[in-house]
Amino acid sequence: MEVRFSLNGEEVTADAAPDTTLLDWLRLERRLTGTKEGCNEGDCGACTVMVTDEGGARPLNACILFLPQLEGKAVRTVEGLAGPDGSLHPVQETMVEKHGSQCGFCTPGFVVSMAVGHLNGRTDHDDVLAGNLCRCTGYAPIIRAAKAAEGAAVPAWMQDAPLEPRPSDAAPESADALAALYAAHPEATLVAGATDVGLWVTKDLRDIAPIIFLNRCADLKGVDVSGGRIRVGAMETMETLLPLFAKHFPSYAAMLRRFASVQIRSAATIGGSLANASPIGDNAPPLIALGATLHLRAGDDRREIPLEEFFLDYGKQDRREAEFVEAVSFPAEAPAFRVWKISKRFDSDISAVLGAFNIEVTDGAVSSARVAFGGMAGIPKRASGFEQALLGQPLTEEAMTAALPALDADFSPLTDMRATAAYRSEAARGLALRYVAEMAGRKEEVRA
Amino acid sequence: MSYELKVDDKETTDRAAGLSQGLLGTAADRPEGVLKVTGRATYAAEDMPEGTAFGVLVRAPAMGRVELGNAPAVEKLPGVLAVIHDKRMLRNPAQGMAGEAPVQGVAEADYVGQPIALVVAGSFEQARHAAEVMEVRCLGEIRPVSPGAVEPEVPEKKQSSMGDLDAAMAAAVHKVDATYSTSAMSSAAMEPHAALAWWEGDKLTVRASLQMLKYNRAELADSVGIPLENVRILSPYVGGGFGSKLGVSPEVVAAAIAAQQLGRPVRVVLNRRQVFETITRRSETEQHIRLAADGEGRLTGVGHDALVSNLPEEPFSEPVTQATPFNYEGAARTIGHRVARIHRPAAGSVRAPGEAVGVTAFEIAMDELAVAAGIDPVELRLRNIPAEVPGTGKPFSSHMLAESLNDGAARFGWADRAAEPRARREGEWWIGSGVASAFRVNMLSEAEARVVLGPEGAIVETDMTDIGTGTYAILGQIAGELLGLPQEKVEVRLGDTAFPPGSGSGGSIGAASTGTAVWLAAQEVRAALAKEMGCEPDDLTLKDGRATCGNISRDIAELISGESLEGHGHVQPGDASSKVKQATFGAHFAEVAVNDVTGEVRVRRMLGSFAAGRILNLKTARSQCHGGMTWGIGMALTEELVHDRRDGHMVNRDLAEYHVAVNADVPPLEVHFLEERDPWTGPMQVKGIGELGICGAAAAILNAIHHASGVRLRDLPATPDKVLAGLEELG
Ligand SMILES: Cc1cc2nc3c(=O)[nH]c(=O)nc-3n(C[C@H](O)[C@H](O)[C@H](O)COP(=O)(O)OP(=O)(O)OC[C@H]3O[C@@H](n4cnc5c(N)ncnc54)[C@H](O)[C@@H]3O)c2cc1C
Ligand code: FES
Ligand code: FES
Repeated sequence: MEVRFSLNGEEVTADAAPDTTLLDWLRLERRLTGTKEGCNEGDCGACTVMVTDEGGARPLNACILFLPQLEGKAVRTVEGLAGPDGSLHPVQETMVEKHGSQCGFCTPGFVVSMAVGHLNGRTDHDDVLAGNLCRCTGYAPIIRAAKAAEGAAVPAWMQDAPLEPRPSDAAPESADALAALYAAHPEATLVAGATDVGLWVTKDLRDIAPIIFLNRCADLKGVDVSGGRIRVGAMETMETLLPLFAKHFPSYAAMLRRFASVQIRSAATIGGSLANASPIGDNAPPLIALGATLHLRAGDDRREIPLEEFFLDYGKQDRREAEFVEAVSFPAEAPAFRVWKISKRFDSDISAVLGAFNIEVTDGAVSSARVAFGGMAGIPKRASGFEQALLGQPLTEEAMTAALPALDADFSPLTDMRATAAYRSEAARGLALRYVAEMAGRKEEVRA
Repeated sequence: MSYELKVDDKETTDRAAGLSQGLLGTAADRPEGVLKVTGRATYAAEDMPEGTAFGVLVRAPAMGRVELGNAPAVEKLPGVLAVIHDKRMLRNPAQGMAGEAPVQGVAEADYVGQPIALVVAGSFEQARHAAEVMEVRCLGEIRPVSPGAVEPEVPEKKQSSMGDLDAAMAAAVHKVDATYSTSAMSSAAMEPHAALAWWEGDKLTVRASLQMLKYNRAELADSVGIPLENVRILSPYVGGGFGSKLGVSPEVVAAAIAAQQLGRPVRVVLNRRQVFETITRRSETEQHIRLAADGEGRLTGVGHDALVSNLPEEPFSEPVTQATPFNYEGAARTIGHRVARIHRPAAGSVRAPGEAVGVTAFEIAMDELAVAAGIDPVELRLRNIPAEVPGTGKPFSSHMLAESLNDGAARFGWADRAAEPRARREGEWWIGSGVASAFRVNMLSEAEARVVLGPEGAIVETDMTDIGTGTYAILGQIAGELLGLPQEKVEVRLGDTAFPPGSGSGGSIGAASTGTAVWLAAQEVRAALAKEMGCEPDDLTLKDGRATCGNISRDIAELISGESLEGHGHVQPGDASSKVKQATFGAHFAEVAVNDVTGEVRVRRMLGSFAAGRILNLKTARSQCHGGMTWGIGMALTEELVHDRRDGHMVNRDLAEYHVAVNADVPPLEVHFLEERDPWTGPMQVKGIGELGICGAAAAILNAIHHASGVRLRDLPATPDKVLAGLEELG
């Protein structure tokens, strides 16, 4: 499959199998070995490259990025950060000066992440660099380097311009075209951001042909806020949704800040995140608690279901042949909504438990309760018995404590390497009590 | 000629004091920094000469005799050049400084995940595909995989005892008798292991990612079965090692054999999963610690018994109790060491083998003693600093533990700490702080280096590696200091066995050992310059390219009139190590917050105060300690290799589930160095610094968790489930 994009300011054409990753192509075909492979599955950030399209510049992990996803885009690797005359990018200079590079293997990934942050005027370096691992430095010198480069002007060569993308059979440009193509090839693998599918290829060596790439379906993107509801297209990425959630549901945004890393969030779509039916995905529980509706489509048939009904059993969803997620919608206001993620490591870690609460109180008594958990069952699941037990009760610590046995009865979590079953139950109970405290006006810091 | 030095005695004169360039001890930049930030530093996986073939390792799904059912069919797949199943291939990587072939023979699989064959093809995809469709059977029983499942070996040489510990325990006013455990860990260096091998006639060259080239050369030659002289290894840049690249590893030997058989270059790069599963891990440990103290908290008895594991044929076992003979007072002392022979991937050295886990457990026990005795934990340690190695009369070469504890305590604000645990709460968070001492034995190792001074500047050559520790910078500083050249006039060439053999990088020996060799080599050049100037070397001042002696001053380039002067340095450990005990010391302080609802722990700040002889480069030394303390955070809270209970395979063999500390886990870290000169380490009076930062760091965190929340955890890492269970128990 032929793909045309801009690489470090030059137009290039790559002819490769559609499941070829950008990283393999760069290193093995182009012999551009500055971009490193530390894990080949999105965990370490050593392969970070800058990708620019109409939405601006963002950092992506080249190891789980398929070449066809790049049609018409502009890619900049570490080799393209220094100017044509060899002058260093400001973040490269400060990295040398602050000793941000020891063994140097993580360094190309860091400098690219930093350069994208710098280009986009970001100064929240801890967030910008959350997806880059370093085993040598202890990070502080790198953060110092990022700070030191803040004031420097963005070098002119960093402004990449995307190209005109060319049509491709495997990349429909609208939901209609996708519906038709998928109906004709129901065995195809849909690729949205490839943060799951990429691993099937790089880690499990699965053959995922035929592939349908969703990233060009313009009408699967977009956010519509109207009539008190928000409708989000399936192809919106977690990173672009962050500001939306920050405005409407701050605790959701705080949780998303810990969803993987900027690189992963810049690729991962909300549609992919729901369609993969992971029991530990971070989006399903909060969306269930918000009362979200999933908009599904197969051919010209559309249906809408409450999100919780989509998840049937471990790895099994209510998804018909050739059906795909078009959008998800939910109320725009939910003052009583809170979500918390608990993981072993603060960043870049899968949740051990994730609890989402949306409990409304009218005249001193709970009038509606939507509570959902991740990590507590084989699917993201509502705590129905617990919700029932809360109805009509005041939202007090006492009443909540009285309802906790119902919460225990709703779930029988497993012990795995992320946490013990006992921990999961206990932490879930703890989050419920934390929720009461928050609603009573206490604000808990998750960072401490 | 060569300047030779055997370190037998102390050197009290500060030999650096008479030097003028002012490079030693400064925070000089790394000369290779620009190459690294631009992606131009080339690591082992990056050379791909014309005609390179790609090899992918095939590994054992079980244990026993290996059968490659469809090898002939696989060999016929498109692009496949060979399926190599050669008896010279490595089962386990070589241990550090082995200097000979490690366990070979891939007809037998001794652990799940062991390399058993190499598939070579014209492209990487073809090789990967062929390796994937290879049908491998292992015809054997699953061998024991859990330390608890076997009767451990009790190596006689590793048991020691003096005095009567049982009596001391019986008579103790305050005591601790508890068992601690630490998890198996992975070095998880960011660069996966990789090798590119090619032959020219009977000469083998390998581009690899290795830490100790002179040993690796011998290991590789022995493995492949060729003379040492016919092997050349190149490792100019190494993307982190931390022990995992000390010995030659399976991909190197496999690449060499394949290249020999195919007559073309062969490249073998491990993927992350293969690195986890075929490269040495740090053994898990179980440590029984007994401390007996009198009413004032003075130790009268110390017991430290460790259980570690390794494969049956491996000579290495984690030297958990390495610092216990000399850490604190205590006339009665019993040290035990047991090894469970189990079939998980080989255990080997990982950053600070021994002390990283041994000091950590011991320092938690010391905290428990402090609590039991009602004595401040800093004070308890101060009361127990020995004047000499207990029971031996052997003096320390230098010892600044007391200074480290006092300095750290003052800077950290220890005086403001509440005596009782659970004294400070902010919202859901319990806040508290802890302390631990740091100990690490110090070693000197044989090393050679060459220094050539020419009209343009100096060139330093040794096969020493820079695994990120700053060797390029430090060796340049040393040569520049002695030869009166600014750092940019000194070119340092490393990582090539064609150069004189350095010490290699590992065990914190590099800077002191190879640095001393460079020092000696440069001294030889200085002597030649002094002769040209007609004066004694001691009367010669070299600075900024000028030589001055009395009232004569000349340009060095002009002095050597376009020629070049060569010096060779050779340092060897001598009797010093039998006359004195050499170690580095320090103190860790940590403040943590423990969440009462979720059991999450956040480290809020950490401070280390260290004494490690002369600090050659403040920047690189500080970086080493930052790195070590960060590892301490990982060890304390998240790092843990999980093995399947049935067949021992590694469950969390990726960076998603093996949790090294991420940026958000690391709070502001403060590192301070105490002025120290160790006269017993040669002319530079330096000691190693690469590993001290991890030794005991995790204990400071675990102790802080106790102080914050009252939860005493003896089983690392302190994951939220363990912490929450502890909080539950306290009610
Ligand atoms: C390093 C790393 C860290 C991660 N951390 C987290 C985390 O902290 N929290 C978390 O929740 N997840 C995490 N993930 C998982 C992942 O990011 C999410 O599952 C992601 O949202 C998937 O979206 P995607 O667009 O990349 O999907 P893809 O990988 O493209 O697809 C995922 C699945 O959904 C299908 N699919 C995609 N779009 C549609 C559609 N519109 N209709 C129907 N089917 C579709 C695909 O066919 C595939 O089966 C992490 C992943 C990685 C690699
Ligand atoms: S190589 Fe690790 S994230 Fe891509
Ligand atoms: S500098 Fe070595 S991993 Fe970051």
